[in-house]
Amino acid sequence: MANRASALDTMPVSPLAQQTRGCLSVVAGATLVFLYLPIVFLVLFSIEPADTPGFPITGITLHWYEKMLADSAIHSALFNSVVVAVVVALIATTIGTMAAFPLVRGGIRFPGAARILFTLPIMIPGVLIGLGLLVFITLLGIKLGLHTVIAGHLVFTTPFVVLIVAARLQGFDRRLEWAAADLGASNRQTLRHIVLPLIAPAIIAGALLSVTLSIDEFVVTFFTIGPQLTLPLYIITQIKFGVTPEVNALATVILVVTLTVFGVGSVLLGTGRRFRRKDAA
Amino acid sequence: MTDLMREYSRRQFLKVTGAASLALGMGGIAAACANVASSPSAPASAAPGAGSSSGAGASAAAAASAAPTGTFNWMTWGDHWYQAQVDTIAANNNIKANSTLFSDNIDAYTKLKQVGGQLDMVSGDALWVPHYFESGLIEAWDINSLKVASQLYSIARSFPIWTKPEGYLGYPFGWSPVQIYYDPAKVSPAPDSWEVLLDPKYKGRVVVEDQPVEIMAYMGKFAGVVNAYSMTPEEIAKAKDLLKQLKPNILRLANQATDTIAALKTGEAWIATGNLGTESRVKDQGGPDLNVFTPKEGTIGWMDSEMVVKGGANENLIMPFLELAEQAEYIAANFILNGRPLFNEKAYGILVNQGQQERADRFLYNKPETVQTMDLKGPGTSTQAVIDAFNEVFGS
Amino acid sequence: MTADTASAADVAPLAGPRPGLRRRLERAAPFLPGLAMLTLLFVIPMFIMLAFSFWKTNSSFDLVRDWNLNNYARFFNQPTYIRTFAKTLVMASAVTAAGLAISLPFTYFLVRYVSRRFQRAVLLAVIVPFWTSYLLRVYAWQAILGEKGALNQFLMATGIIQQPSTLFVYNDLAVFVVLIYVYFPFAALALYAALEKFDFTQLNAAQDLGARPDQAFRHILLPQIRTGIITACIFVFIPILGEFLTPTLVGGASGSLIANLIVNFTRQGQFPEGAALAIVIAVFVTILLVVFRRSLRVEDVVARG
Repeated sequence: MANRASALDTMPVSPLAQQTRGCLSVVAGATLVFLYLPIVFLVLFSIEPADTPGFPITGITLHWYEKMLADSAIHSALFNSVVVAVVVALIATTIGTMAAFPLVRGGIRFPGAARILFTLPIMIPGVLIGLGLLVFITLLGIKLGLHTVIAGHLVFTTPFVVLIVAARLQGFDRRLEWAAADLGASNRQTLRHIVLPLIAPAIIAGALLSVTLSIDEFVVTFFTIGPQLTLPLYIITQIKFGVTPEVNALATVILVVTLTVFGVGSVLLGTGRRFRRKDAA
Repeated sequence: MTDLMREYSRRQFLKVTGAASLALGMGGIAAACANVASSPSAPASAAPGAGSSSGAGASAAAAASAAPTGTFNWMTWGDHWYQAQVDTIAANNNIKANSTLFSDNIDAYTKLKQVGGQLDMVSGDALWVPHYFESGLIEAWDINSLKVASQLYSIARSFPIWTKPEGYLGYPFGWSPVQIYYDPAKVSPAPDSWEVLLDPKYKGRVVVEDQPVEIMAYMGKFAGVVNAYSMTPEEIAKAKDLLKQLKPNILRLANQATDTIAALKTGEAWIATGNLGTESRVKDQGGPDLNVFTPKEGTIGWMDSEMVVKGGANENLIMPFLELAEQAEYIAANFILNGRPLFNEKAYGILVNQGQQERADRFLYNKPETVQTMDLKGPGTSTQAVIDAFNEVFGS
Repeated sequence: MTADTASAADVAPLAGPRPGLRRRLERAAPFLPGLAMLTLLFVIPMFIMLAFSFWKTNSSFDLVRDWNLNNYARFFNQPTYIRTFAKTLVMASAVTAAGLAISLPFTYFLVRYVSRRFQRAVLLAVIVPFWTSYLLRVYAWQAILGEKGALNQFLMATGIIQQPSTLFVYNDLAVFVVLIYVYFPFAALALYAALEKFDFTQLNAAQDLGARPDQAFRHILLPQIRTGIITACIFVFIPILGEFLTPTLVGGASGSLIANLIVNFTRQGQFPEGAALAIVIAVFVTILLVVFRRSLRVEDVVARG
């Protein structure tokens, strides 16, 4: 996994490989266009005066941004959504990653059944998860709030983490761990310095999926939430009047902020790591 | 959650933000936004008419100086309140409404049945209101004990379906029949019946709301059914036949009111069913001039209210809150915002004074007796059979 | 935290006076939090819903404990449910195939040709738009695909078509396209996690030894990322069986998938009826995965052992 990019750079490149690379870059570019096309329109509608999305665009306004900035309901909804998504991602990623180990490496009696159990929540519609949980929570006499929403979201996010980490662990070269142990590394050291770095991409992917699933969940949220709002709850329930581009404005701000923070952050992080690696070498 | 707790958790959150990963950076900004927005200067720009309504809040505050204060929990629709209104009441009177939203009566009913007194006030429609009462979920009370109730049309204080020996079941809020909107440039001759939805000339040009029971209900009205929410098997069969004819005409099922308006605005749809005010919103967005009519066979509709939850932990705040929040100035502003008739008669006077009479009259604001001509939304006896029929038509 | 004990068990064969039990417990320990969570928050609530599915809803929208099989019979008695489910399976398969066909080259390009420094940035750029409301993104699709939408205007401006087409939206094709869009990140992340560990010099080595590029791809790359591909398939295929919002928003009158029929019940408080239909489908898919795990080659992911 280490220096594959540099190894490739120094290797003679055949014309065919160059062709493949060209083709692939076109496909990748087209995919990005496909993914960002709706986003462009989403942003466009946030500066459009009319309160329903659609053509033709009649003008440019910052009205929806002003409205969004002044709307405290939408802010607390966003705040709640982010809290839930972050907590859910942290817990789901932790317990999901842990669960993936015995699932792949043995140690539990019915691994097949366990895998089915972890696939089931993906198959069951949110309304059953939400309503079943609501009835159960009431039986236990627990008050509804963001904590119960988090509980509900864990049900359908954890399986994604488990499956994605398990897939990565499959075919993981155990000899690396044994080598580390032979060289005197403790279990904890082996885990931290050998295992976790190698499965990190899967853990990160699982966390990202958790956030993606949690931040836009409506049905489970409705049944498990107390007297609060989340963003999807706010958006989906505007049936009688319909959502206004105020939410487009909010979405645009979130998008720009997140992309900037993440973009800058991950590039910086990448740079830092490269320097460290050079130092080590 | 109390203010203090929210503040606390926000601070906690910011702490985590600083320490943990980049993912949290976004949340920090969100939290910062939220703090900025709850500053007192914010509400003024939130809604048209907010200026006039804060006056109402202030005067009511003076009147109710000894009133209880605190926070109560309200499950409602997004159009029953607006931010400046609840912010003003929270600031002047220390009664804070924690709102959570729902989209369908049955969702609210299901949830309230589970959580009961965790909520204090719930909004509900027409025949759902007595159903809540019969299920022991809400309380009946004397509506005339509220001073603000005198601002209501008298008919709204005495709907038979909401009157029980124990008292009145809800504080009346707004209403609307389902009507048909059409573009006269594309649809002629001028229709007067549900039949126009089924006319093969308009294949793929009709938008209806994605509400199976409602669609079947007005197919039932077209078939001459008396009670559209409690149909007999024969009546359902008739409605189902009509639904089959409707299906090819449907461009799309509208998930939110905005969907209908967008389709009419762009001209992708020529005919649509919808709540009062659809044509004005289409016009406001630069869409075509639409005509509107109530089908001659009769129509369905809703009227909603605020209900007091039985055993709500903060029940004592409900009456003082209603006394403030239902003041005509707020209601008039709400009308401007959301554009459908409300039951507050005094607010109509304000709208007339503001030069809004034409709009208000077009939305039947001054004709609350219209609700008596509609088949009211409610938990009918034929729901399951109706969905079976709907699924057979709309499944593969 | 406790994951290290799992690996410890492999390195140290004997770890105490009662090796069997102790060792088993140590190895299973990391599984327990996840198991406890699912049991408490999923299994128990599902048993409640399972019980409900044998009850009925009375005309005043209350559940009545009147044990019966009618809710299950509905699925088999009315051909519309089986037909719609069949259609849903076809749609889910098509979207899964197309989703893979798009996300595999994309992630391949990302992992192989984008420098590590930018890889995660690109990945985030792909995922983060999916953190905005689904409803807003689909509204954007409507504005693109609609009769008066951007695509039609573009095609007319370039003279490819003369009249705006109504064929781009409110039909099954639109559902197909938007579903690919919606589930792209799921497929892409699953594939990324699998591809990222692949050593691409193996492909060059294979070709040096005389393999054609497609042979190298088939025999070297695919087997090594097979679990990733199956995971991606599961991430796309199974959630689509529960998709109702996309068909509602862009499917028009004839776009209904099986979840739409279920949601029509649950949104009107007919929970036993909806629950039974959903359980039928979950059971069907589970049986499908278990019985055909060898031929579907999902045994490593779904039910190994």
